[in-house]
Amino acid sequence: MSWQVLSGTLEQGLMYAIMVLGVYLSFRVLDYADLSVDGSFTLGAATAATLIYAGFNPWLATGLASLGGLAAGAFTGLLHTKFKITPLLSGILTMTALYSVNLRVMGRPNIPLLRMRTVFTDFAQVPWVGSYSVLLLSFISVTVLGILLYLFLETEIGVALRATGDNEHMIRSQGVNTDAMKILGLSLSNGLVAFSGSYVAQNQEFADVSMGIGMIIAGLASVIIGEVLIGTRSVGRTVVAVIAGGIIYRFIISIVLQLGLAPTDLKLVTALIVITALVSPAVKKKLFLPAFRK
Amino acid sequence: MLSVRQIQKIFNQGTINEKSALSSLSLELAAGDFVTVIGSNGAGKSTLLNSVAGDFPVDRGQIFIEGEEITYLPQHKRAAWIGRVFQDPMQGTAASMTIEENLVMALRRGSRRRLRRAITHKEREYFRAELCKLGLGLEGRLTNKVSLLSGGQRQALTLLMATLREPKLLLLDEHTAALDPKTAAKVLDLTCQVAEDQRLTTLMITHNLDQALGMGNRTIMMHEGRIILDLQERERANMTIPGLLEMFEKAGGANMLTDRMILV
Repeated sequence: MSWQVLSGTLEQGLMYAIMVLGVYLSFRVLDYADLSVDGSFTLGAATAATLIYAGFNPWLATGLASLGGLAAGAFTGLLHTKFKITPLLSGILTMTALYSVNLRVMGRPNIPLLRMRTVFTDFAQVPWVGSYSVLLLSFISVTVLGILLYLFLETEIGVALRATGDNEHMIRSQGVNTDAMKILGLSLSNGLVAFSGSYVAQNQEFADVSMGIGMIIAGLASVIIGEVLIGTRSVGRTVVAVIAGGIIYRFIISIVLQLGLAPTDLKLVTALIVITALVSPAVKKKLFLPAFRK
Repeated sequence: MLSVRQIQKIFNQGTINEKSALSSLSLELAAGDFVTVIGSNGAGKSTLLNSVAGDFPVDRGQIFIEGEEITYLPQHKRAAWIGRVFQDPMQGTAASMTIEENLVMALRRGSRRRLRRAITHKEREYFRAELCKLGLGLEGRLTNKVSLLSGGQRQALTLLMATLREPKLLLLDEHTAALDPKTAAKVLDLTCQVAEDQRLTTLMITHNLDQALGMGNRTIMMHEGRIILDLQERERANMTIPGLLEMFEKAGGANMLTDRMILV
């Protein structure tokens, strides 16, 4: 693997790790498989690209993109809590609706950002940064967001949020409005995802309406890889684990591509990674524990 | 203190599985009352407790705590007054979280949760002292996950959580039924102790007639969604287990004698 591929993969890994933080928040902390991620990732990219293309400040565009994600997450949360739609279906509904919303936002299926001013070109102006702009800014962003997420999960509200994912009945009997917690958690989760999407669009210098397809599975794969390799003993460790998982996942994808697989096969590879991770405990049991004969 | 007026609850109304769980039930508890609730399976004991706690809305009637109507308040708002321990030890605690995190959630019952660090050093000391009183050695395991605890330990922890903020009303739904006899006795001891110390108004469901008469100051018997017997003071002091069984039979026929009640 050349240095260029290596650093490119690392940059992408750091950027996508922000999305993985979001997936961790919904999938693990809230125990909610939220498929709106596929739509909100694209929403972040589409919003940022459209605004930048129209001449907005890229930092402002990134902020607004994240707010869009927050709103999308809140919408999923409302569907689930107020109208009692199942978690999976709520996510699918938001994801489907967002596909049209994203096309509306962009006005066309893709927007190029070639040689436009982005957060990365801005950051490159800082002394000593130069060509390390993408790497450094992504690293700083994921680190700051990871620390903020960790600190949040250790606050009173954060503890209540985690308990909502663990034992809803119990935390309600301790006086917590679990509906509000779910809406809050899903908002923050999708906000992070949209933030990540806006970075990815600015880095690859285009936004495309289908760039979010399969994002949730990539996120799940990353969370699982991180948890298996680094562990989940404490919240802080798990946050570090899922960030690392996001980076490692990108490297796996990169290696698979280097081996000559077509980019179109990536979704299959990702699905296989998740299936392997989900099946392995069951396989282990089958192999090492006595079982009933068929 | 607690006033339940003419509440009615029908499950699966209008279907073939329709079940009238509470029919026009009224109950008044004075402050400091410790009431044991007995009755056969399906008598509506748990439905009564769950209605008071707000797990579901009642179809008719009103519920008051300290003169304030709570009939239409959602469960998480009623939690400001109510501490609960459930029959299943898994239900009262968050397994993937630490002992101190579980305790701090209980410590914030009834107050607004903020964006500040959940557990302070001072609170940690307080938790240690409170856990010490349980006598289970949990005071040295504050940062252990609750999933590592036994059922009895979890139930004792749940009891501590329910009473950490001196609830106006303590609801115990057969909270020792899933424990082995020795642990059950320990948890019951703790229950008596804390109820006495804090002079808690308590509703305790039990299937153990010995406990029903031995604990608290009042016993009510339920049958088909109604209170059919309300024993207090002299009448209760003179009541024996065989006497109670006889009342059972008189009230609902011999079928009320379930195995669990004989095996006390």
